Formats: sequence, C-alpha cells, structure tokens
Amino acid sequence: MLKTMNQKVSIFLILLAVGYLYAAYNLKKYPYVPVDADAVPKVLGYLLIGLAIILFFDKSSETEEDKEKRDVPKKEIPIMLGVGGFIFLYIFLLEILGFVVTSALFIFGCSLFLGYSRHVMNAVVSIMVPGVLYVTFTYLLNIILPQGILPF
Amino acid sequence: MKKIFVFISIMFIFVLAACGSSGSEESSGGGEGEGSEDWKPEKNVEIVAPAGAGGGWDTTARSVGKILEEEDIMDKSVGVVNKEGGGGAVGWSYINSTNNPHNIFVSSPPLVFIPLNGQSELSYEDFTPLANMIADYGAFAVDADAKWNDLNELFEDMKKDPSSVTVVGTSSPGSMDHMQFVSIAKKAGVDIKKIKYVSAQDAGGMTQIMNGSADVYSTGVAETVEQVKAGEVKVLGITAEERLDGEVLSEFPTAKEQGIDATFVNWRGFFGPGDMTDAQVSFYEEKLKKVSESDAFADIRDNYGWNEMYMNSEEYKEFLQKQTEELGTLLDELDMGQ
Amino acid sequence: MGAMEGIAQGFQVAFSLQGILFVLIGVIAGTLIGMMPGLGPISAIAIMIPVTYGMEASVALIMMAGVYYGAVFGGSTSSILLNAPGISGTVASSFDGYPMAQRGEAGKALAIAAISSFVGGTVSVVLLMLFAPMLSQVAVSFGPAQYFALMFLGLTAISSLSDGSTTKALITATIGFMTATIGLDGQTGTSRFTFNNPNLMEGIDFLVIALGLFAIAEVCFLIIKRKDTSLSDQGDIGSLRLSKEDFKEMRGPMTRQSFLGFLLGVLPGAGATIASFIGYISEKRIAKNPEKFGKGSIKGLAAPETANNAATSGAFVPLLSLGIPGSGTTAVMLGALLVLGIQPGPLLVQESPDVFWGIIASMYIGNIFLLILNLPLIPYIAKILKISRPLLISLVIIFSLIGVYSISFNTFDLYVLLFFGVVGYFMRILNFPAAPFILAFILGGMMEQSMRQALTASGGDVMALISDPVSISLYVVSALSFIVPLIRTRKNRPAA
Repeated sequence: MLKTMNQKVSIFLILLAVGYLYAAYNLKKYPYVPVDADAVPKVLGYLLIGLAIILFFDKSSETEEDKEKRDVPKKEIPIMLGVGGFIFLYIFLLEILGFVVTSALFIFGCSLFLGYSRHVMNAVVSIMVPGVLYVTFTYLLNIILPQGILPF
Repeated sequence: MKKIFVFISIMFIFVLAACGSSGSEESSGGGEGEGSEDWKPEKNVEIVAPAGAGGGWDTTARSVGKILEEEDIMDKSVGVVNKEGGGGAVGWSYINSTNNPHNIFVSSPPLVFIPLNGQSELSYEDFTPLANMIADYGAFAVDADAKWNDLNELFEDMKKDPSSVTVVGTSSPGSMDHMQFVSIAKKAGVDIKKIKYVSAQDAGGMTQIMNGSADVYSTGVAETVEQVKAGEVKVLGITAEERLDGEVLSEFPTAKEQGIDATFVNWRGFFGPGDMTDAQVSFYEEKLKKVSESDAFADIRDNYGWNEMYMNSEEYKEFLQKQTEELGTLLDELDMGQ
Repeated sequence: MGAMEGIAQGFQVAFSLQGILFVLIGVIAGTLIGMMPGLGPISAIAIMIPVTYGMEASVALIMMAGVYYGAVFGGSTSSILLNAPGISGTVASSFDGYPMAQRGEAGKALAIAAISSFVGGTVSVVLLMLFAPMLSQVAVSFGPAQYFALMFLGLTAISSLSDGSTTKALITATIGFMTATIGLDGQTGTSRFTFNNPNLMEGIDFLVIALGLFAIAEVCFLIIKRKDTSLSDQGDIGSLRLSKEDFKEMRGPMTRQSFLGFLLGVLPGAGATIASFIGYISEKRIAKNPEKFGKGSIKGLAAPETANNAATSGAFVPLLSLGIPGSGTTAVMLGALLVLGIQPGPLLVQESPDVFWGIIASMYIGNIFLLILNLPLIPYIAKILKISRPLLISLVIIFSLIGVYSISFNTFDLYVLLFFGVVGYFMRILNFPAAPFILAFILGGMMEQSMRQALTASGGDVMALISDPVSISLYVVSALSFIVPLIRTRKNRPAA
C-alpha cells in the first residue's frame, strides 16, 4: 500500500491538516470584523491537504542520494535519543538546580556520553563556560538566570 | 586560551561601562526595629516583569528596581526577571506558583482585561495589590487634515454611521487601546458594537492615520506629543480627569471638558503573591512610597511622560474592584466577556 | 543651518576623545552581547539603558548606536560557525555561511560577513544622511494593503529557496504559515490553537523555531559525524584570505543589497530579518548559478549580511525623522532616547542637531571600528570549530538552550525548541527544506494581519487590496518572479 516515503509523509500531513482544520472550525467567533480569525487557517488547512495529495502521487523526487540521507546507521539512533534525553533532563532540572549546576552537569555528561575522553579539559570547560556566562548575565547584564541551589 | 581572553575583555568592558550599576549594597539603610510585626526580606527581592525586555512593564520594573537599590531604600539587592508570555499570564502563574513574598511583579490594566477576556485563569484577586506608582492616559489622535476638530464632531459622525470611521490601536480588541476608546465612545452615545477597530503592531497606528489607512489612533498621550508639535496630527481628546502639565500636553482637551463624562487610566503598579502577611504588605508599601517620592523617580516619570499616582494597598484594591466592574460591563456588552 | 554644518558638528561630537571612547565601548559591548546566545540588539539596548543614566545625551546616544550596530554584527558569528543564529536578523546568514565554515573556510566566511556588514552599514548611513527627510514620506506611505502586497512578494520566493521538489517547499511553507497562526490573533483577540496554554498565547518566538530547525537539527547530524576530525585536522581554518575573484563576487550583492536592505529597513515593521531574507532570495533569483546557493556561496552570505546591516540604519529613518519606531529594536531605542530627555520627532533635526548628526556620525565611526576590531579577531574566533566534536556538540546545545531561555525565561519554550529540533531533523532526512518554513513563518503572520486590517477598514471590500499603484506594481513583480523561473526550469528540463 504505502510504498514510498512520500506516501507515508502525505498521510501524516493529511492527518495534521485535518486536526488543524478541526481546531480552526471550532474557533470562537468574533462578530465585528469582515474576515474572522478562522479564515486564513481554513485556507491553510485545505491548502495543506491539497499539497499532501499532490505529494502522494509524486514519484519523481526521490533520488538515490536522497534515500542515502535517510540511511542513519542503526547504532547512532540510541545515541541521538540519549542526547535528547540529556536535553530533556536539562530543561527539567534547570529551574530546580539552577543554571550553573545544570549546565555544568550537562556539558560534562553529554560530552562524556559522546566519547570525549579528555576529562580534565572537559571538567574545566563545563565549569568555566556556565560560570562565566552566569556572571556575565547576572552581574554585568542584570539578566537573572535561575540561581538554584548555589548561594550566589 | 583565546576564549578566556575574550571573556575577560567582556567583563572588563562592562565593569568600565556599568561602573557599579550592579552589585548589592550590604549594610546601610533599613536597620530599624527587629520587632515581630516587622518583616524584612531574607534574601534578594525579585521583580517580575511579565513581558520581554524593553516594554512598559520591563521599563517600570527596571527603573524602580534601580532606585530601590541605588537610593539605599532596600538593603537587599533587587533583580528584574522577565517572564514573557500570554500577555502577562505566564508571569502571573509564575508568581502564583512560587508564592514567595520575595517575588513581586509589575502590572497594568491587562491584569484586569485578560482575565475578563477569558485568557487567564488568574485575576488581580489572586494577588495582593501592594502599591500603584504611575498613571498614563489615553489620547485619540487624527491626521492634521482630518475634518474633526474635537471629540464631539467625531462622535457625531460615528453616531450617524459608526462604520465610516476606522480606529487603530496597538493592542488587540478587548484590551487597552480598544477599550479606552470604547469606554469614551460609549458615554458619548456611539453604538460600540459597530466600531471598526484595527490592531497594528510596531507603531503602525501612527503611520496608518498619517497615510489615511485609518482615521483615529487610540494610543498613549506621550506617543502623540512630537507629532502634534510638528503639526502632523492633532489630538481630539485625552482620557484624563483634568488637563495634564507640559508644554504641548496642556493643550490636549480632556473628554470630560468636552461634555463626555468618562475617563480611563492606564495605571501601573506592583503586586505580590496571594497570601501575604500585613507586615509584608506594609514593608513593600513603604518602600515603594519612598521610590515614588524620590527625585530620581520624578525624573524618570518626566522623561517618559508618566504621571504620579501613588495608591497604597487598600486604595489600590478598591480602585481595581471598580475598574473590573466597569470594564466587565463594557466587555459583556461587546459579547467579549467570559 | 545647513546640513553640512550639522554634519560637521556631528563629527565634532563623535570625534572628540570622549566620543571615540564611547563608540568603542559601545561596539565592543554590542558585539559581545550579540555573540551571546539569544541576546540581540533589543536586549543589548535595553540592558544599556540604565548604564546611560546621568550621561550626556549625545555621548550616551553614540554609545547606544555602537551597541546596536555591534549586536547586529556579533549575531552573525554563531550563525556562521555553529548554524545557531543568535538573533533573527542573521538566520539567513547561516544558509551559506555555515556550509562555508564546514568546508574549512570559517575565517573567510566571517571575513565576508564582516566586510559586507561594513559596506551595508556604511552605504546605508550615507543614504540615511542624504535622504532621511525625503524617505520619511516613504516610511509612512505604506498602509496595510501595501504591506500585504510586499509580504506576498516575499512569499512567492518560496520555491526558489529549495533546490528539490517545489511541492515539498510549498508544504513546509504552509506548515510554517500555520505555525504563525498559533497564539492570540491581533485583530480579534481570539486565541488560536493554543489549547488554553498561556505559554502559547503570544505565539512561538521566531528564534525558537530557527534554533530548533537549524541548530538542534544540525546537532543530530554532528552526532552521527562526531568522529570526523577533518575540521580540526585542517590547518588554517581561520585564514582570512579573500581572492580578487571573491571580492568581485561580493561586489554585486553588496551594492544592490545596501540599497534594497536600507529601503526595507525604512518601512516600519519590515526590519532586518525580512531584509536579510529578501536580500538572499533576490540575489539567488538573479544569480547566474543559483544552484550554488545554500552550499557555501559567497554571494549567498554577502547578500543577507549586507542587507541586515543596511536595514539596521534604514530603521533609523522613521525613528529620527518622524519619531516613529518601526521595529522592536528602534522602539527600545526610542525608550533609551526618552530616558535621556530627548523626544525624537519630526523636529529633532532642528531642535537638537547635535544629537541627530552625532548619531549619524557615530554610525560611520562605529562601522569602521567594528571592521578594525573584528578582522584581527576572526582567526581566533574561527578556532571554536577546532574544539573536539563531542564537546562542541554539548556547547552548541547549551548555546541554543540559553539563547531560547534568555528570550522568555520560560522552560516551556525549551521544550518547544526540542520539538522543533526533532521536526527539523525529520525534515532534513526526508528532504523537506527548512528555509521556506522560516520565511512563511515571519512573512505569513504579517501578511494575514495586514490583509485583515485592510479589509476591516474597507468594510470587507477586497478591491482595497489592489487599488493603488504601489501594491499593483508589487503584485506585478511577484507574478514575474513566479513565472520567470518556471519558464527557466521548463527550458532546462530534458525533453520528456
């Protein structure tokens, strides 16, 4: 059935457009303007469905080179997910532990995870960079970053 | 390490340029009474500006914060935190959830509008009004060549055919610029449901009346002064109670003196989280009053064209109640209330 | 008093020892703030306002102008080196700047950016000086209908931003436009597609999307290639060597975009970001070898860099000659002026000529300083790329995260950043170009609002959109720019 990548993407896009249109049709009405807030979104929703249908039947655009791009080595996927997990953790902890601690842990941990082996250098960078950024933002630029568990 | 060199030069420059604009003053000031009723901040105070850098809230927060620190009014350091989003709602929910008396925020009429429009669950009632600091008023400007010379002429035309006039403002319908016009027009007897209102960002309103895309610009008084001086636009009326002071400002007629008994204040003041003790409230009240009375703040008010309007916590609360009722009625009439 | 006298006076202010010192402080501070993640000219100026309390007005302004210029200038560094635009005006600079840096020509790319910025900045200051009063009329002549036409023209360029399938380019553009509709609608106050989440009420920040689609998505590819040491092994990535041919290639875009960028900057609301995109697209349109764009073309880097700097001074036209701030940055600048007790307006030139001409003179000096200061630093800055890949990846991620956080101070936006990073990654592997997404996002929002403003004012009469010569000519240009490439591809396509 869905042989080409284009067809799979096309189905996804149609679903996206339908969801968007559904929300557009349920927008609150505002009676005092000739073109209400839902007009442009409706056009866009149908436009996306139309384009997705064209994409569905479009067979020309996949070259070998394009397919190659999609060929991500299997063993890299867990690593990417790992980094994604690190980012997630960073966002979660940022306002709890504070900017300096979270960033230092992130830089050190993430670099280590990606195979950086110069530990001393890594430690120096992961403390220096967030430290200097924090001092610059907070004390020189008066832009407050999360202080967290550190006393300053 | 060249990078370190770069960073050191950053700091050097800022130290040079900022010359002690930051840093906390330890000792001095506020050593008075350690009695049990008194409350003093145990750590640094955070003023939240529920918007990005550079806007009205941010400017107020930063200038008040600076005076609190530099005039030794507060002995703890004061930092400004920007919490942008939702027209303020993000900042409000931050204050609400942290619920810490060291975190206060600056606000203005959107704190009334946005909950009324149903765009935020939290309203002023969920916070503690501490003190109002300044007032700003609305002005209705038209192109210098426009046929109207005062508000009554404009409203006469609008009574006959409301759709013959396009009003432009910066905020979206149901908020500041729209509502200040609506509240005056309503008193003048215009059918407010039929007013054509357009919202234009980035000071587009001024250009729109100058090139004729719109007829009336509903904005703040200060925004119009220079254009009036240069003869590009004229101000038909302002929303203040009485005429303002200042060389051009004093020439602007109020709506009231034109027989339309309505005013609109764009107030700006400070709020704390919902549950605060009386001691905490009076602490901030007192400090903010000192700021309001300082020469430094008077200079800032003059430069920005703001007017002094200090209200303490009690007065502020009553004022807000009244405004919420009035605006609620108007919004309901426009079917925009929630 | 004539303009000449005013200029002389301005230069006197700017060339005083004090003047030079503060321009210097301004440009250095501005450049460094601009290089900081997320901090652009708006924050740079807002931050500097308290610093200027109590300073003499003309001196403070000279410093501000320096900060402004410096911040626009500094923003391109991270775009080029890391594919992580620090400010929205330099997103387009990453299209060709990053590939060039990846090729091992980081120094050259930064030098091109510096030189184009200098040229764009200087030429536009001359234009500002000569034509500011005249152009002030242009600035106010654009109403909603004309903006609609202008944005329309920008959008027709979408197909040219992609080398592959036009369908795919249009799909990403549509989704970009859809993304722009998230948030409170300006004309009605209706909250659209926010699912009652207050974090979405003001819409998604442009920079969050740009950093997600470009920087975070690129990180995924850097992870795959993390053991690749070709860049760190390469000897001289910081070399500034520009050949005669390189200069020849830059000359065209620099000249054209200085003017075009300046004009777009004059229009309130258009600003440096739109100027840089239109600069990029228009150069690609007229280039003899458009296929080189996006792969490290010199023209493709020089164009947006010239245009965004030219637009920066263009934005001063409505501010200084009318007192109308046409962009977020000049609005903050206006605030800065107010603090100093100066009311910019139509009478500024007469009432405080020292301020008016002082700013202009300081722009000349600021530009020269920027060039002199930055060129020697480039070899060192470029060495960032020599940092071992795993560490560099962590730093790019941190840079993007702080960049986004320092815009809104809201962790929600960081999740949005991560989300767009994932979207960007899938778009890349599925061959959907990201640039049309970005372009439709910035132009689409403005286009919708202008259209509805025009229609509200006209009471729903569509003719209001096409009733004046300016919009009509903009539509004609749009139509041409759509038809001409179509014919070209027909010709190039092998008979089938």
